[in-house]
Amino acid sequence: MPKNQSGGQRNGGPKRRQPAVALDEDNPIILAFTKYSNELTQKHDRHERIVKLSRDITIESKRIIFLLHSIDSRKQNKEKVLEEARQRLNKLIEVNFRAVALELRDQDVYQFRAAYSPGLQEFIEAYTYMEYLCSEDSQNEVKCVSDWQALQAVMQYVEDEPPKPKDEDGNEVDTALSTPAEESLKKFQFFVDPTEYVLGLSDLTGELMRRCINSLGSGDTDACMETCKALQHFYKGYISLNCQRARELWRKITTMRQSVLKAENVCYNVKVRGGEAAKWGATFDQKPADDVDEGFY
Amino acid sequence: MSNFVNMELFSNYQKYIDNEQELRENIRIVVREIEHLAKEAQIKLQVIHSDLSQISGACGLARKQVEACAEKYKKLADLVPPGQYYRYSDHWTYITQRLIFIIALVIYLEAGFLVTRETVAEMLGLKTNHADGFHLDVEDYLLGILQLASELSRFATNSVTMGDYERPLNISHFIGDLNTGFRLLNLKNDGLRKRFDALKYDVKKIEEVVYDVSIRGLSSKEKEAQDEPAVPASE
Repeated sequence: MPKNQSGGQRNGGPKRRQPAVALDEDNPIILAFTKYSNELTQKHDRHERIVKLSRDITIESKRIIFLLHSIDSRKQNKEKVLEEARQRLNKLIEVNFRAVALELRDQDVYQFRAAYSPGLQEFIEAYTYMEYLCSEDSQNEVKCVSDWQALQAVMQYVEDEPPKPKDEDGNEVDTALSTPAEESLKKFQFFVDPTEYVLGLSDLTGELMRRCINSLGSGDTDACMETCKALQHFYKGYISLNCQRARELWRKITTMRQSVLKAENVCYNVKVRGGEAAKWGATFDQKPADDVDEGFY
Repeated sequence: MSNFVNMELFSNYQKYIDNEQELRENIRIVVREIEHLAKEAQIKLQVIHSDLSQISGACGLARKQVEACAEKYKKLADLVPPGQYYRYSDHWTYITQRLIFIIALVIYLEAGFLVTRETVAEMLGLKTNHADGFHLDVEDYLLGILQLASELSRFATNSVTMGDYERPLNISHFIGDLNTGFRLLNLKNDGLRKRFDALKYDVKKIEEVVYDVSIRGLSSKEKEAQDEPAVPASE
């Protein structure tokens, strides 16, 4: 092709035609994108680390719930199991949630909500279930289930140095607040989001339903009635909530209704068939192995 | 026994979500105002596809809209409690990306380079670091820039239609650099990744335009500079 015209103005545009050739270190776009890349990678890495931590919390919480279900009025193991569960839950708070809190320090906790939410909800389920089982025993003064402020109060951590007072009304306190320099921050917390708490608590009803049915199996009809009553209260509380946007909560309330219905059905059977159902269930349950308890009921 | 369930808990939570709803309502009002301004800017910029001589005028008008948006962002920043940007960010991410696109387009048309995140943040009155307050999220920035790529591929076609054969070459280099830049990113399997995957179609479209122009010898620069890339001036 003939070169006919010259004098095309140049205003210092890009230097290369093919983007894939080699990285041009001086190219402003490349320089800028290297920076964005670092920032993105950092964010993703933190997210992944929190997901891992959260997974550990989920697994341990599930195991604790399983452990708590092994409480059986015939085995008289309640004290021992509760004590172990309490210790393991405390360890979760002191070790695992502390690690998450450290990751979230000076961050926007809502940015990583999806990363820690499953672990937190499972933990809340285990924690409140433990509290429920504890409250069964204390006849005189019944302790309420912890709300998110109570839980928030537990999840306070201190660096090695003595803590300095900070605002602590539980609601909107944020780890990222008012503490620009890392070394100035001696105290930190794991932020318990009320919504996460309420979602986690709604899972407790599933455990209560299981306890209700298991109690029927072990002949503890009082426990059946009690758990059913607690379930009904929870259900009442949850349907009193006015939540338009919260699809997740709505789904959980639907599941909760199923649990309530199952528990109510158990209570109906206890009432109608009286002690027979329980006795039958009790003997059936321990037919082959447990000869120690034979004829206990 | 039934005392275990604390009914106060539910009324407290109801208060909590009521407060949140109210704040969201207020945020939505401001976001709607920003949307309105951005829409106008976008409409003003449509003229570039039909009349090249009006580009700088359109850019000026769009800049005014952006300035007006900065005011609104100040309002938003006051509404959102510190440290809770991501709690409410779903309300404004979409429109912020749109504005980033508009700003990037204006800057490209005026000066021919890619606007940095810092400059966009400055123009919208935002911070770049989340610790400093209401900021410009890096992913939003990147998503906005990807919108720019699509618009430029359209612009390349239309400038040829309007008889400007140099511009597609310029755009092609620019998008090529952008593409290289995006390849530096470690993308997760998320929205940004999906959107980035569409960038290759923009690249392809522009390359086709450049090919058509070159093979027919329509571009004077292409004829003149076989071994060095031609960079036609912008307006």
